[in-house]
Amino acid sequence: MSDVAISVEDLGKKFMLGHQKASDFRNSFGTKLKRLVGLDSNEVDIEEFWALKNISFQIRQGEAVGIIGRNGAGKSTLLKILSRITEPTTGRFELQGRVSSLLEVGTGFHMELTGRENIYLNGTILGMKRAEIKQKFDEIVSFSGIEKFIDTPVKHYSSGMKVRLAFSVAAHLEPEILIVDEVLAVGDAEFQKKCLGKMDEVSKNRGRTVIFVSHNLAAVERLCNKGIYLKNGAVNYIGSASETLKEYSSGRSWPENKINIDHEIVRSIEVSQIEDKLLIRAYLDNYNYLKPPFLGFNILDSAGNKLFGSNPKLSGFDQSNLPFKKGYVETLLSDLKLRNGVYYVSVWIGDGVYDFFEGIECLSVHIKDMIDNKYHPEVTNLGPVFPEASWKIIKA
Amino acid sequence: MYKLVVDANKKGLTLNLKELLRYRDLFLILAYRDLRVRYAQTFLGLLWAVIQPLATLIIFTIVFGRAIQVNTGNVPYPLFAVCGMASWSYFSFVLAQSGNSIISSQEMVKKIYFPRLVIPLSKALVGFIDFLIALFFIVVLLFFYQFPPSANLIFLPIYALTCIISSLAVGIWLSALTIRYRDFQHVVPFLVQFGLYATPVGYPADMIIDNLPGWATVLYYLNPMAGVVEGFRWSILGGQMPSTYSYISLAIVFVLFVSGLFYFRKVEKVMADIV
Repeated sequence: MSDVAISVEDLGKKFMLGHQKASDFRNSFGTKLKRLVGLDSNEVDIEEFWALKNISFQIRQGEAVGIIGRNGAGKSTLLKILSRITEPTTGRFELQGRVSSLLEVGTGFHMELTGRENIYLNGTILGMKRAEIKQKFDEIVSFSGIEKFIDTPVKHYSSGMKVRLAFSVAAHLEPEILIVDEVLAVGDAEFQKKCLGKMDEVSKNRGRTVIFVSHNLAAVERLCNKGIYLKNGAVNYIGSASETLKEYSSGRSWPENKINIDHEIVRSIEVSQIEDKLLIRAYLDNYNYLKPPFLGFNILDSAGNKLFGSNPKLSGFDQSNLPFKKGYVETLLSDLKLRNGVYYVSVWIGDGVYDFFEGIECLSVHIKDMIDNKYHPEVTNLGPVFPEASWKIIKA
Repeated sequence: MYKLVVDANKKGLTLNLKELLRYRDLFLILAYRDLRVRYAQTFLGLLWAVIQPLATLIIFTIVFGRAIQVNTGNVPYPLFAVCGMASWSYFSFVLAQSGNSIISSQEMVKKIYFPRLVIPLSKALVGFIDFLIALFFIVVLLFFYQFPPSANLIFLPIYALTCIISSLAVGIWLSALTIRYRDFQHVVPFLVQFGLYATPVGYPADMIIDNLPGWATVLYYLNPMAGVVEGFRWSILGGQMPSTYSYISLAIVFVLFVSGLFYFRKVEKVMADIV
């Protein structure tokens, strides 16, 4: 078919664990010599590891594909092979069109060079022609919003400015196939949004094929129309983005609803449903502060979208039991109206200035029968929260 | 439409020089970066590129010219030495730079594809500055000593080209070897230091041919730069033709260059995995 942009057949990548140790001259020479003499035929303590095995799929032109999977599932290896950074051990793949890969923003940036020079350097590294950069230069600079510092060496930039500059270059790539790794994790939220928007616009309007790897499932859902779920180096599921995400969520092992922590002050955190309320509490020890402990939280849906959160600064604190040395700090959430399903909880604990503990999606809770409604027991496409709604007709 | 096929089952090495040509912009800008960064935040700046060879020239003149009194015929010693240093300094620069070049740009190598050969090649381009400065020294000394350059000057471009190829050949080999075996990081400075004396930079090659047995002379000319330095000097200052031994050097240059390209391609396949 002519509209296939990427076709992958039986791709595999093998790594030799322990091979790295053999990479000085003497070891390598030694093993070669031993092999020659016939000593140690099977003694080589090299372990084979297949990071990817039997990967086959096809991607059509204009599709935006999200690759999801747990750490170590082979996502990055797959991207590295498709962007030709490493070669596959088995199989073949075909790419139709010019490819740009973005496994990192600001690849090759040099601190001593000015912003202007780095735009040219980074753009060329990403595969743009000099003339192309020249033509887009003004647009890149204004997108980054750092016109004033464009002739200042990058080492004097703040880290945010560097990221903005790097992103602006990347956002102006115009390949037919774009391969993007988890690069959107950096940069401030506002700018991230701008870049996601730009990517979105490009893939939808101009028929560009995008492959996108991310842990940010919400971003995958928003940007992609197709999903590939990798598990232990093999394709576990291919389908529409939402179905793939569902498959991924169902096959995933969730964090516990209570964790013990090896920390001087924070000893354990747990979350539990108590009838229609949700309780989050932490056990603290050696709390030698006069100020109340500061427990902040976020509740996220199974795709990782933040639903809501709070902290004592926002909702006040009962200080009557202060000071205390050991004990629980807890918050009880009422009026939640969450549908049945699994939810993540992120927790921060600190003294209001510094965090002792930070656990992103460190807990999960299975919500069951929180809302009294027979008709929508599961999380559906109506969303996770089921508000109390009354219906009536007002005659006019 | 542009199409790319990668097949793990296809055996054999192709050099893919066409692709290299498509990446010429990258090659140029990497060289530009190195040049810009080389003397950044130094007080004397580009002057360092003049001071370093000048200092070497002075020491050579004192040691070989005055103390040992090497016989350079009718050629004033400083002029003799500077003609040797021009090609040697380029060679040693490229060697020192390209050996480590891929390791020092490993961040790039791991994150994006481009023909890796671009990296050592760009180092060879950066070295032209030193080469030009040395040529400038030669011109100044020719005028200073009122020494007319020989008619062999028409051969200079050929020897300059051979010098570049020779430097690239060894540079490419070393950059690929250093990836595989980090030992070569320690070999390179040694090679550069050792080579300065194992190459007719500060003394005429005749001294070797006249004083050493035949087999040792052959060994001497296995050094690819021996023939290049000798020929380079001959094409400027004239005098006796480079010895027939020097063809050994030129053959070695060719063999090293072609084999280096292939070895580099072989290592390139696993570069991002082992760097």
